[in-house]
Amino acid sequence: MLDLQSRIDRLTEEQQMIRDSAASFFSDDGDLKGIRAQRGQQPGYRDERWQSMAELGWLGLMLPEEYDGMNLKFSEIIHLLEQSGRFLSPEPLVSTAVMGAGALLHGENDVCKSEYLPKLAAGEWKVAVAWQENIASMSLEAEAVTAKETDDGYVVSGKKLFIPSAGGADAFVISAKAGGRTILLLVNKEAEGVSVEFNERVDGGFFGTLSLNNVVVAKDRVIATAGVATLERVIEESRLAVSAELFGVMARALEITVDYIKQREQFGRPIGSFQALQHRAVDTFILVELSRSVLIQAAKTFDETEDTAARAKAASQVKARCSDAALQVTKSCIQMHGGIGYTDECNIGLYLKKAMVLAAWLGQATFHRTRYGELTNAA
Amino acid sequence: MNEQAFRNEVREFLKANFPEKWRFPAHRLSLKETHDWQLKLYEKGWAAPSWPKEYGGMGLPPYEQLVFQEEFDNYGVNSAPNMGITMLGHLLIRYGTEEQKAFYLPKILSCEIRWCQGYSEPGAGSDLAGLRTAAVLEGDHFVVNGQKIWTSYAHDADMIFLLVRTNKDVKKQEGISFLLADMKSPGITIKKIKNLTGNSEFCEVFFDNVKVPKENIVGKINQGWTMAKSLLGAERITIGAPKIARFPLKLVKQLAMDNGLFDDPVFKARYTELTLDVDDLDAAFIRFAEVLRRGDELGPEVSMLKIWITEAAQRVTDMLVEVGGEASVLDAPVSLSDGGSVHPANQSFSSRPASIYGGTNEIQRNILAKAVLQLPG
Ligand SMILES: Cc1cc2nc3c(=O)[nH]c(=O)nc-3n(C[C@H](O)[C@H](O)[C@H](O)COP(=O)(O)OP(=O)(O)OC[C@H]3O[C@@H](n4cnc5c(N)ncnc54)[C@H](O)[C@@H]3O)c2cc1C
Repeated sequence: MLDLQSRIDRLTEEQQMIRDSAASFFSDDGDLKGIRAQRGQQPGYRDERWQSMAELGWLGLMLPEEYDGMNLKFSEIIHLLEQSGRFLSPEPLVSTAVMGAGALLHGENDVCKSEYLPKLAAGEWKVAVAWQENIASMSLEAEAVTAKETDDGYVVSGKKLFIPSAGGADAFVISAKAGGRTILLLVNKEAEGVSVEFNERVDGGFFGTLSLNNVVVAKDRVIATAGVATLERVIEESRLAVSAELFGVMARALEITVDYIKQREQFGRPIGSFQALQHRAVDTFILVELSRSVLIQAAKTFDETEDTAARAKAASQVKARCSDAALQVTKSCIQMHGGIGYTDECNIGLYLKKAMVLAAWLGQATFHRTRYGELTNAA
Repeated sequence: MNEQAFRNEVREFLKANFPEKWRFPAHRLSLKETHDWQLKLYEKGWAAPSWPKEYGGMGLPPYEQLVFQEEFDNYGVNSAPNMGITMLGHLLIRYGTEEQKAFYLPKILSCEIRWCQGYSEPGAGSDLAGLRTAAVLEGDHFVVNGQKIWTSYAHDADMIFLLVRTNKDVKKQEGISFLLADMKSPGITIKKIKNLTGNSEFCEVFFDNVKVPKENIVGKINQGWTMAKSLLGAERITIGAPKIARFPLKLVKQLAMDNGLFDDPVFKARYTELTLDVDDLDAAFIRFAEVLRRGDELGPEVSMLKIWITEAAQRVTDMLVEVGGEASVLDAPVSLSDGGSVHPANQSFSSRPASIYGGTNEIQRNILAKAVLQLPG
């Protein structure tokens, strides 16, 4: 099939470069054998690969140069993440390099920034953000996790759910209720009273549940006192990032399927010659290109404005479309494969599973459609 | 007996006999693991709701079959279809010799022989008539060579009913025969295939010079296709039954109540829309099943039931995954407040192939377009 991007979109040199290097890096595991070997394993990826990504500068993709970052624009980042999505990369790029790095960066603690961000960029330290407290709840206010103020800091207790890549993390940024407000704190995984329970997901990765039992956190580990505002920024950016991965997942699933239906024969002809499948494939293609259009637009919005309402609206638009489209596309791809599509052995199922996980994370399509409606009608 | 009395009787029977631990299972139970329960059904005379009474069935009219099934769904009974009952039995009743009927039908009812269906091959899926597994008559036996694939529960089956090529020199549909083979025959090997849920419900079955007694042919030689096609009608109405959507719909409701979503008006509206998709199918199903009860044959129109309900079931399981939130993408069952459990992702995965097996929905649409709408081409 034609590569529409190269026909329609004029990529900048930077975009082209990041796209090409990411494509060549991730397509190393084009047959997905490496990913299969990581299913159900902790932390779920090879450290070697993480180090290579650090060398390429990708772990500091969002960070300014002073923290050894690449300071990429969102409209460049999406090209990197599209490629990681295409090859179902299990590495915690979004959860560490976008979400974790973002939480520190957008916070107020310059000491922690200088101490940790260069290490993060170098691949020596990983952090995950632990903020969610209930199933399907996108509330940014901490309720269940509380931080009691003491003379030298806080004592923190409670539970956080659905933390991605918790297995490889060295530390967590957690949100906690302190007095009347939500603050963000940096907690070491090894700290006393911290325990993580892992729940395996359908894609072979894990969500962690973090339990904090009277964990002592020093004052200088407060990342943000305006916790909700910082979290909001981080989570909106992560929604854009995960949408880029979702987009990669669906785009690659379509390509794999188009190749398959060209080659599989029934009734003495390639099944791709049947109009029923042609129309199905075309409908799938439309969803993919529609998603790409929204993704490009949302990244542009994030590059151009820090206005929270504008970013929230863009984030919801793109997360709703990409979540919904990725699910529809991958399911349709399974249908076009026939029986083989229902087997574990066939790669197309891995695409559905990845789409399910990413679609469920950080708000599913229904949540984002509703929020988009509220934001639009409020304006 | 009036409907309510019948429902009560079924419910009472389930309560007294169906093991609590199997209600609303996280994955569909196989016939093998539920063998004791199948025996109880048999002893009660309830093994084959759709078979005529004279062959040991319940002889239930279509509407009562639905009622019967609905009570099972409501109670959380979810076991694999018994292909001996839903498929082979009907075919034997219609085409089998007296000896075959006398020998096999009671053993199907009592679950003494568990069956699997060996039609599809690697090169013959939608184009089933392109099948190549060959049977050659040598003295008292057919000698079978070839391979079947996607054979559900072959690993649990005692016998397989299969389509084989007995003549290569005629139009492909005219050289196919229908055989019954013992799965323990020398030369048969089985390889399980893992599916998206991580379980293995289907297999590859290899035939290497397998001897099948001559009398195990059903119908005449080279008549297999016509018979199998008539059976596909019965299969499609079975797959077209509301059950496959009704069961997950029940799970959606329970999970939504547990997650506090059931009172949300937007959710309610969407849930009701899906409920109507399933309830309306009931009406169509009863109307179509009535044709079979009259003793008439269902034509290509039966495909519409299969298309509608399999796609409705997929919408229902999509909603189930949504209702479960992030917990839905964990590879673990969620406990329900009514004592059962649900694995939303696996429900979603296992609803995917419903639009593939029994003839894909594309094939069903082709059939409707050509044979019912009588469109050209
Ligand atoms: C869970 C499961 C259980 C099964 N159990 C059994 C069993 O017990 N016994 C058994 O014999 N078989 C079984 N099958 C096999 C099933 O019947 C086949 O998978 C099915 O017929 C499709 O064949 P295929 O897989 O080769 O797909 P293909 O025929 O290769 O189809 C691939 C795609 O092409 C499309 N296509 C093909 N031809 C056309 C056309 N002319 N026009 C438009 N579109 C077309 C199909 O719709 C599909 O989307 C099972 C399958 C599954 C998934």
